[in-house]
Amino acid sequence: MIEELKRLVEQAAQEINQAARQHDLMQLKSQYLGKKSAVNGFLQRLVELPTAERPGFGKIVNEAKQKLEALLKSRLETLKDAEYTQELQSERLDLSMPGRRFERGVLHPITQTWRDIEDLFLGLGFQVADGPDVEDEYHNFDALNTPQDHPARDLSDTFYIKDDVLLRTHTSPVQVRVMENTKPPIKIICPGRTYRNDNDATHSPCFHQVEALVVDEGISLADLRDMLNHFAQELFGPEIAVRIRPHFFPFTEPSAEMDMVCPKCLGSGCSLCKETGWLELGGAGIVDPNVFEIVGIDGEKYTGYAFGLGIDRIAMLRFGITDMRLLFGNDVRFLRQFR
Amino acid sequence: MKLSYKWLRNYIDIDLNGKALEHELTFSGIEVEAVEHQGELLEQIIVAEIKSREAHPGSEHLSICQVDNGEEILQVICGAANCAAGSKVALAPVGADLGEFKIKRAKLRGEESYGMLCSEKELGISDNHDGIMILDENFEPGRHLSDYYDKSDVIFDVEITPNRPDLLCITGIARDLSALLHKSLQMPEPVLPAGKGDIRKLLKLENQATDLCTRYTARMIKDVKIGASPQWLKRSLEAVGMRSINNVVDVTNYVMLELGHPLHAFDYKLVAEQTILMRRGQAGERFTDLQNITHDLNAEDLVIADPQKVIALAGVIGAANSQISEETRDIIIESANFLYNSVRRTSKRLSIFTDSAYRFERDMSDEQAELASRRCCELILQTAGGELVSGMLDSYPKPVGTILVTIRPGRVEKVLSVKIAPEQIRRYLESLGLILHKEEAESMEFEIPHYRKDLTREIDLIEEIIRLYGYNNIEQKLQIRKIMNYDIFRNRRQVQDMLVSLGFCEVVNWSFSDPADLDKLRIEEADERRRFVTLKNPLGSSYAIMRPVLLPDILRNVLSNINYGQKSLKLFEMNKVFRQSSGKLAQEDYHLCGVMTGNREQVFWGRKVEDLDFYDIKGVVEDILSVMRLRNWEERNSDERYYQSGTGLDFYLSSVKLASMGKLDGKVCRSYGIEQVCYSFDIYLDAIYRQKRELIPAYQEIAKFPPVLRDLSFVISREFDVSEIRKTILESGGKQISQIVLFDEYKGKNIAAEKRSLTFSLTFSSSKKTLNDDIIAREMHNIIQNLEKKYRIELR
Ligand SMILES: [Zn+2]
Repeated sequence: MIEELKRLVEQAAQEINQAARQHDLMQLKSQYLGKKSAVNGFLQRLVELPTAERPGFGKIVNEAKQKLEALLKSRLETLKDAEYTQELQSERLDLSMPGRRFERGVLHPITQTWRDIEDLFLGLGFQVADGPDVEDEYHNFDALNTPQDHPARDLSDTFYIKDDVLLRTHTSPVQVRVMENTKPPIKIICPGRTYRNDNDATHSPCFHQVEALVVDEGISLADLRDMLNHFAQELFGPEIAVRIRPHFFPFTEPSAEMDMVCPKCLGSGCSLCKETGWLELGGAGIVDPNVFEIVGIDGEKYTGYAFGLGIDRIAMLRFGITDMRLLFGNDVRFLRQFR
Repeated sequence: MKLSYKWLRNYIDIDLNGKALEHELTFSGIEVEAVEHQGELLEQIIVAEIKSREAHPGSEHLSICQVDNGEEILQVICGAANCAAGSKVALAPVGADLGEFKIKRAKLRGEESYGMLCSEKELGISDNHDGIMILDENFEPGRHLSDYYDKSDVIFDVEITPNRPDLLCITGIARDLSALLHKSLQMPEPVLPAGKGDIRKLLKLENQATDLCTRYTARMIKDVKIGASPQWLKRSLEAVGMRSINNVVDVTNYVMLELGHPLHAFDYKLVAEQTILMRRGQAGERFTDLQNITHDLNAEDLVIADPQKVIALAGVIGAANSQISEETRDIIIESANFLYNSVRRTSKRLSIFTDSAYRFERDMSDEQAELASRRCCELILQTAGGELVSGMLDSYPKPVGTILVTIRPGRVEKVLSVKIAPEQIRRYLESLGLILHKEEAESMEFEIPHYRKDLTREIDLIEEIIRLYGYNNIEQKLQIRKIMNYDIFRNRRQVQDMLVSLGFCEVVNWSFSDPADLDKLRIEEADERRRFVTLKNPLGSSYAIMRPVLLPDILRNVLSNINYGQKSLKLFEMNKVFRQSSGKLAQEDYHLCGVMTGNREQVFWGRKVEDLDFYDIKGVVEDILSVMRLRNWEERNSDERYYQSGTGLDFYLSSVKLASMGKLDGKVCRSYGIEQVCYSFDIYLDAIYRQKRELIPAYQEIAKFPPVLRDLSFVISREFDVSEIRKTILESGGKQISQIVLFDEYKGKNIAAEKRSLTFSLTFSSSKKTLNDDIIAREMHNIIQNLEKKYRIELR
């Protein structure tokens, strides 16, 4: 009987190894290992053996079953591998075809610059303050120490709504409003839309400004210079130095205009900086004690600095945009360049 | 570490309730992780006497007892083998709350039982669960067990930070509390008798590893009687979860818990050649510990040995070969100190974690060793008798010197921003055991007690001062001003970013507008937007007013882009609109306005080119509103007249209009020169920010059981809206419906002209049970019946 079993296993093994399709293997499996298979038949024939030989032979039959099962499994793997290899050969992709993308939009370059500035200051512990675009004369001029007959109040520079209501000409009134309501220490930036009655290739009647204000004990011109340098270098690169020059603003004393090294030529002179190597960046200064008095802050105890910059101008410098009108033209061929 | 309130009161006179003490501990830097009230149980347990015991007819293991509870005879069924007539036992009467369960009147195999006889374990008295607790025969039936066992105590499980090994004992905590609460401290001051004989003639120490064993002391007591510990000692240990072993071992454990210093007792007779060696382990050497586990040693380990064998792993665990047993008569008390990192390495490498190793690896004090030894001998003499041998062996190669730290009151103020007078600083530090050594004009020098190795610098002393002063007694500086609203700030950005990822380009236009725009948009005379803000000196008539709506500018942007050949556009602007207000200035509100026109998606090979439709833009608006954390808004037909009739929607929350959207009327488009279909939306950002919203989404439990999906397809008259049909499905489908998704709409071939076919995909889920087919079939049947009744649908 053992011989008979051996022959059967040999035959089965041969057939399994020659099976070419998965389907054939399944058939072989039921033929040799199924309930009514020949191998199982040997188990039923155990009774024919003397009792002592039964366990030994049973073991041999089981081993034969296990051997065939292992063979079936390994042949199945081989067939699957072969099939997969064939699949791989038939699947040839043209990898150079473009990927299927969804149209991604873009934030306006002004918004991108605005956000970068906000983030820079937020990281330094500043908060972002907001205020009305339609402002009263008091907050826009009086509280900022601008005399009644100052030329800045001219109709030709300022849009008026009523005699004493106007479109803010800078975001400084936001600073005033914050100082009226908040005790120092104050660390804010006020980004926002501002208006001047000017419309030509280099001026837009609506534009965007950001001002920073710091009021605390012991704030000095040294802190201001530190901040201006940090700001310019974060936005334009580590080579950018900032210098300040004496100037006049009614609400700061001493007042200064600030220039930064031209980011295009790095100071050697080019058409952008009109061969000077420097670009005007904005105004700055130490908060005038009169302003503190008006808003009710103790100017003996506290000092502060303020500075203001044009967001649009910074955006133009950073992205190399040369025409102001492009910013408000909203041509998607322009906008999509900043994705 | 477990801390017994009752035990604590041996050293400090405090009268705080558990909560108050927990508070004091927490704010002195000792975190309380759990509080356990012990002994409350015993107040419910009655002493009872078993009058008779009979076998239970229905069970071999149970017996029927008649017990006297002092007032009456009760029948109680008991399963313990040791219950016998005449015994005094602990009865938990009906109603008693044993924590894990409550005693109820019960029937056990047909016999009534009015209570339960308890084991020691059930009463929390010990771990003994072999049968019921048999009480002293003098206990009086009817009395509460708490009258005999005063187990009432509060146990605090405290976490000690690794820098404070001095707090790993009850006196250490008492010392800290005494400084904190200004209460006097009663430290144990053990006094020993002169003793007899001379230890030097009985025992020799050889310290061969002075780098690892920084101190080793030994005292001896002869003729002790090993036996059970007295009650007070047992209770003290058991209260904090330690098992009683015998009087000598218990005392060593007690002193460890009391003073923090681990000790070890050896049987003198088992120490060969009367010599104790402290040496490094040797490669190949093996050691079998008290738990009968054998370890391989190496030269990194410090061992305590006699000339023939290792008798302990220093500071980690002892060996069975020298331990105290019932036969022990003469004992050696080891009180030593070992280099902390050596103990730590050995303990980690061999995975032996003992209370002793836990303390030594936190760097104990050399000085404390002698006190601990003295205290241990005092208590052993008390509890196990015997006679002290005169003298103490002491290997102490490098006695620690005095450690001095200088503190400047000026510096204290600088760091803490509170002015604390030098006298107060001195009082704080002295209450912690520091001793003023030298005082100068602007500084004080303190001697640090040996048990505070963590105090080495000025800043360490400052920390102690503020701990006692109270962290929260420092006035806040109030320097941070609330100026901006971060929620709105972030949300505006989220909305912008989302639109960008949906393909929108942001546009920025001037704030000026032409009043004629309002006419083009058919905004009615009575509309609030007609109360616009006019400039006195505008740039020109088309810039005469501050814009009350954003749409016209975007339509102009659309036109100019179309003229440049860009026919598929998605544009938005987020900016202020203006109108007159009752005050001096204007009403300014942020709006978000967008226009979509042309193809649904960017043209790509392999993707169908399709025109945008109403539902594309509705999806955008739904996305915006949900990013703005609005839920459950209401949709109504729009009253904006610039939408094509019947294709505009307004969005409301509690009757406030928050947004509108729709297909722009063709004539309106043409008035802006646009010849193609445009859709627009207008979101009233500030109006939404004024609404109460759930700013931070609250996590909802995810259904534990797999959801079941069912599709439902039917033909229905076009007069019924999907929102209405959805509602009907939801109402008739029971609580298990978690989602209804409109899967498909079909009009046309094979469907009557006034009808359409709808397919919904329904998700059923439950957090309580698996939904079987029967439940789902019932729900579906309900839904279909209701739909048929209401809308005369035909199933497909
Ligand atoms: Zn240049």
